[in-house]
Amino acid sequence: MQVFLQTFIGGMSLGAIYALVALGFSLVFRTMGLVNFSHGNVVMIGAYLASTFYLSTKLPFALAMVLAVGGTGLIGVIIERVLRPLENKDFDLMLIGTIGFGIVLEALAIIIWGATGNAVPNPVASAPLQLFGLRIRTYDLVVLAIAATAAVLLVFFLQSTKRGAAMQAVAMDHEAATAVGIHVGRSNALAFMLGAGLAALAGGLVGPLLYVNPTMGGALGIKGFAAAILGGFGSIPGAIVGGFAIGVLDAFTAGHFQGYSELVTFLVFTVVIMIRPTGIFGERTVNRA
Amino acid sequence: MKLRVAGIAVLAVLAWLLPYQLDSYLIHVANVVIIFAILAIGLGLVMGIAGQINLAQIALFGVASYATAILTTRAGFGFWTAAALAMLIVAAIGLLIGTPALRMQSHYLGIVTLGLALALTNWVTNAHIAGGAEGITGIPAPALPGIDLRNDYFFYYLELIVFGLALAFGLFVVRTPLGRKMRAMRDDSLAAGAVGVEVPQLRMTAFFLASIYGGVAGVLYAGLIRYVAPETFSIANMFLLLAMVIIGGRQSLVGCVVGAIALSVLREVLVDYPTYAQVAYGAVVVLTVVFAPTGLAGLPTRARGLLQRWGWLRRDTGTPPKLGDFRPYDTVERPAEQVILRIDDVSMHFRGLKALQEVTMEITAGEIRGIVGPNGSGKTTLFNVVSGLYRPTAGRVWLGERDMTAARPHTLARAGVARTFQNLRLFPLLTVRENLLVALDQTSVLGNWRYALWQPGVWRHDRALRRQADELLDRFGLTAFADAAPGELPYGTQRRVEIARAMARRPRLLLLDEPAAGLNGEEVRQLSEIVRSIRSTGVTVVLIEHNMGLVMSLCERVTVFAGGRVIADGTPAEVARAPQVVEAYLGDSAMSEDVPVATPTEAKR
Repeated sequence: MQVFLQTFIGGMSLGAIYALVALGFSLVFRTMGLVNFSHGNVVMIGAYLASTFYLSTKLPFALAMVLAVGGTGLIGVIIERVLRPLENKDFDLMLIGTIGFGIVLEALAIIIWGATGNAVPNPVASAPLQLFGLRIRTYDLVVLAIAATAAVLLVFFLQSTKRGAAMQAVAMDHEAATAVGIHVGRSNALAFMLGAGLAALAGGLVGPLLYVNPTMGGALGIKGFAAAILGGFGSIPGAIVGGFAIGVLDAFTAGHFQGYSELVTFLVFTVVIMIRPTGIFGERTVNRA
Repeated sequence: MKLRVAGIAVLAVLAWLLPYQLDSYLIHVANVVIIFAILAIGLGLVMGIAGQINLAQIALFGVASYATAILTTRAGFGFWTAAALAMLIVAAIGLLIGTPALRMQSHYLGIVTLGLALALTNWVTNAHIAGGAEGITGIPAPALPGIDLRNDYFFYYLELIVFGLALAFGLFVVRTPLGRKMRAMRDDSLAAGAVGVEVPQLRMTAFFLASIYGGVAGVLYAGLIRYVAPETFSIANMFLLLAMVIIGGRQSLVGCVVGAIALSVLREVLVDYPTYAQVAYGAVVVLTVVFAPTGLAGLPTRARGLLQRWGWLRRDTGTPPKLGDFRPYDTVERPAEQVILRIDDVSMHFRGLKALQEVTMEITAGEIRGIVGPNGSGKTTLFNVVSGLYRPTAGRVWLGERDMTAARPHTLARAGVARTFQNLRLFPLLTVRENLLVALDQTSVLGNWRYALWQPGVWRHDRALRRQADELLDRFGLTAFADAAPGELPYGTQRRVEIARAMARRPRLLLLDEPAAGLNGEEVRQLSEIVRSIRSTGVTVVLIEHNMGLVMSLCERVTVFAGGRVIADGTPAEVARAPQVVEAYLGDSAMSEDVPVATPTEAKR
């Protein structure tokens, strides 16, 4: 039981990261029906930006994160602008286009920061908490707190602000949204920017947990995407639940199958998604017939 | 045609003479390029032709390489035995990776295949038998009597022959019934199912084909390099392969080959700057999808279009083709009065929305039944239930004596149900003739063994289909448009193509969803003539229509829907008088007291 709970808690912090990545995926998907396969690479860029600001310019961790979020937000706007001609047209082509962006971003990261990664020291240097005999790292709590805050702010933005409502309207019917005077392109750009910002948040937070390197985006992106689909693609609560599910699953497979953990994680994911393609909360499906 | 044959001959001779120009390093590069070209053909088939996103192609390649390596070095098999076994293994894995395609498409399929590819890489990096991260060395060279295949120059010729066969077979598939059905499925899987294409089986066939190409490439790779390691099959290389297919043009196998060669050469030129090469091809992928989605293969057509627009190239300005007359079918005796379609207490709910509520109706063989009702009253939903697109929440659907409630669209199509769609669902990238050919082909997926063992049979079958298509085109007056893309045709002509496509399967029951929508008066008259002639061959016709004149003059019985229920059923005259119908169309009866009740004569106008 002790081991079980300890593994569970260990999975929670990475789960929070996956949830943030999944939120970015879902936000972009529900707004413009675009699956951003370069999202993982944006996470990686975010991790590099945050760690660079934090380590080499000795900025406080929080400030470094804010700068990283801004930087990747800009990347998100660029991606959206370039792919805009394909929006609401060819789904598969857009998907491949974002893969192209991912390839470029990864190569750029290697050119700028080198092929080898760097470790980021833990910004919250205090001893782990002991609770009922369980060890909880303080940094994990920070990650959870920041992820929770980001999720709450996102929901608040979508439900209680005018721009958020506009974004929801575009998600439901982009033509009707245009008709009532919403600038769809701008709204999509904003969604993409927010998604990229969430990616940077995830990347910055994951830096001290993992090693920051140019290929880290692959695994993080795919698992975050898996989390989004598992929860129900396009659903905000789904992304959060899916993120934690994948994080905990990851922790358990790592404990039980060591090197084969990815194999088991993806097989479990495939089976679950085959049984229930709409995920836990279900995608807002569009009727096409 | 002659030009094309000459071009192919010249290319073949050049490829045959190429080794004389290359040093030992470059011939090795050429050998690797050919392997990637074969892989790209496989990916082009599954993605460009069948429309299934497959991000595991490189993993299939890896499976075959590793299987060959393990079977030769660990189990002591000879190279060719190991290669044959490896092909079996890769085919099995290919079908396994394709299974998710039965349940999901596009981005879902992308992530699942990508995840499975990662799982495979994860396995080979960890498994002891696969040599872990170091991989497996010492694979024996394949032996052929009299030829030393350890020599890269000889290996080149082996690869060249295999490549030639692989490309020829791929092109053969694309141009014959199997590939045509795949393209139809890619363009519109719903409509493909409705004309009898076995979509699930065909998706598996596509993955099977891709795995065969992956397998051939993998075996050749093991024989060429004689060393396998995980990084060759990494996601980065998968994306490189994807870039080859996209840049070359995914819908053209030749384009895929060109893309593979172009990117391989680029990579070789920039071999000292691999990251810059990566930036370059990533950027080209982005530019391709935005500005030239058909890739290099589509450039000639686009260039011709541009030249025509600038007036540098003459447009072919013949007289625009004209829609011919419909040639009526021969009349047969009206079939005996029996129920052909029975809808038994069917309900269809979408979460809270009750689109159909306890609908019961019977349709007699040989009649023309009209279904009318306000928008949103559940008419099209009923068609979707009957043609198998939806499975009803409750109730049963009987076709004759057979319970067809849970049948798939293609099963229903094969049982004699054909339909058209309200918003036209022709296959946009197929010509009009190909649209009909897809529907004419009645063979099942199992019949595709001929592709492996008896290609002349396939060829002959295709010729027979083409004759039938010509006859059908002629009957519907569409011969002049046979080679046009459906999107270029006037709307009324497109409607007629869709009816011709539905009739291609010689159905027993034809469902027409608003066939007169968007037609002018003359076209409506022709439509009613066509429908009468179709009925006279013993086909039962059910049509949804808002054009009351057409319904009243054409239909023997009319069923009226409102709010997901049947509110009236009877002859046109009876129905037009029914108070509940008047209420549904004109509002509350208290308010419509002043409105004169529709009389049959008035309705027939």
